[in-house]
Amino acid sequence: MNHALIIGQYVPSNSVIHRLDPRTKIAIIFFFVIFVFFANTLTSYAVLTLFAVGTAVATKIKLPYILKGLTPVWFLIVFTFVLHLVVTKEGEVLFRILSYPIYSGAVEQGIAISLRFFLLILVTSLLTLTTTPIEITDAIETLLNPLKKIKFPVHELALMMSISLRFIPTLMQETEKISKAQASRGVDFRTGPMKDRIQAIVPLLVPLFVSAFKRAEELAMAMEARGYQGGEGRTKLRELRIEKIDILAFITFGIVLIGLFLTRA
Amino acid sequence: MNNSRRTLFLIEVAIFSALALVLDLIPFLKFQLWAQGGSVSFAMIPVFIIAYRWGVKGGLLSGFLFGIMQVVVGTAYILTPLQGFIEYGLAFTVLGVAGIFAKQVKDALEAKQSGKFFTYLTLGVFIGSFLRFLAHLYAGVVFFAEYAPEGQPVWLYSTLYNGSYMLPAFVLSTIVIGFLFLKQPRTLLSIKD
Repeated sequence: MNHALIIGQYVPSNSVIHRLDPRTKIAIIFFFVIFVFFANTLTSYAVLTLFAVGTAVATKIKLPYILKGLTPVWFLIVFTFVLHLVVTKEGEVLFRILSYPIYSGAVEQGIAISLRFFLLILVTSLLTLTTTPIEITDAIETLLNPLKKIKFPVHELALMMSISLRFIPTLMQETEKISKAQASRGVDFRTGPMKDRIQAIVPLLVPLFVSAFKRAEELAMAMEARGYQGGEGRTKLRELRIEKIDILAFITFGIVLIGLFLTRA
Repeated sequence: MNNSRRTLFLIEVAIFSALALVLDLIPFLKFQLWAQGGSVSFAMIPVFIIAYRWGVKGGLLSGFLFGIMQVVVGTAYILTPLQGFIEYGLAFTVLGVAGIFAKQVKDALEAKQSGKFFTYLTLGVFIGSFLRFLAHLYAGVVFFAEYAPEGQPVWLYSTLYNGSYMLPAFVLSTIVIGFLFLKQPRTLLSIKD
C-alpha cells in the first residue's frame, strides 16, 4: 500500500485483531461501549480492563502509538477526576488538602468514571488503529443493508465514503502544493496574528475549491463513460467473510460479558 | 434528477466532504483553542458550498458524510453512544440546513445584488452554524450529566466551550464563502435548477 494513502490513525500489521472482519470489530465495540456502563464493582471494572488491555496487546501495535491517540483526552480524564474529588461529598473524609476535605466516595467515583472514560477511548481507538478506513466503509455498507428496505441509499452512501477516502490524500497533496507555491512568493501561513494568517489562507482555499470542482466533474464524466448506473447489480472488489477467528472473537467477548455480569453488584 | 446530474451530485458531495476533512486535518489551517477538539477551522466551508450549490439535501448529505468520515478515519472522540451520535451523526449534518437560502443566494448573485446576496449568505451560514452549536451544546450537557458530579452549571460550561470556537468559525466561514462566490461565481452558479 502506498504510504501516502495511509490516513488517520491506522497502523498496518498482521495481528489477530487486524485480521478480524471489520464487522466483527464494530459489533464487539458497539456492545462494549454499551456494557461499560454496567460495571459497578472493582472486579467488574477489572474484567473489562483486562479485556481492553488484552486486546490492545494482541494488536501488536507499539504502546506509544496507542497512547498518542489518547493524548487529547488525558486532559478530560484528569479534569473529570479532579472535579469529582472537589465536588462529591460522600463517604468518610479520607484526608485534607490545605484543610479542604477529600471524601472516600469522591475518590471511588473519580476513579470509576475516569477508568470508564479511558476504556471507551482505548477500545474505540483500537478500531481505527487496526482497521483501514476502507474496511470500515465496507463494514458499514453491509451493516446498513437492512435499511435498503426503507429506501435509505446505502449503496450511494458507501460509494461516496469510498470516493471521499480515495480523495483525502490527493486533496492533501494539492493543499500542500498550493501552499508551497504561495509560500515561495513569501506568504506566511504559520506565524503572525490571526488576522494575517486568515488573510494568507484565503488565497490558498479559493484555488483548492475550484480544482476540487474540476476533479468532481472529471470523475463524474469518467464514471458516466464507463456506464455507472447506480447501485443495482454492482459487484464488489473486496468481499467480507466471517472466518473462524471472528467466531472466536465473539466467544471471547461473550465470556467477558458473562464475567462482567457475575462480578457486578 | 437525471442520471448524469445525479452522478455529479454524488461525486461533488463526496469530494467536498473529503475536502472538509482535509481542512480539519491540516494543522496550519486551523487555530487550536482547546486540547480536545474544538478548534477554529475552515472545515465547515465545503459543506456550506455544497449546501448553496445543491440545496438543503446536498448540504445535509455532505455534512453527514463529513461527520461519519471523522469516525471512520479516527479523529472523532466518542465517549458515550448518545454523545457520539449527536456530535458526529447530527451536529455536522445540520450544517446543511444553510441550503434553505440556496435559491435566494443564487438569484442575488446572478442579479448582482450584493446586499441581498450577503444577507442571505450570512443568514444561511448562521442558521447552519447555530444548529451545529446547539447539537454540541446538548451533547456537552449529556456528556457532563454522565461524567461530572451533580450540581454543576453544565449549560454554562458547554455554552462557553462550544461558543468559543463556533462563533469565530461562523465569521470565518461567511467571509471565505462570500469571497469565493463573488470572485468565482461559477462555483455557485454552474448548477442550474
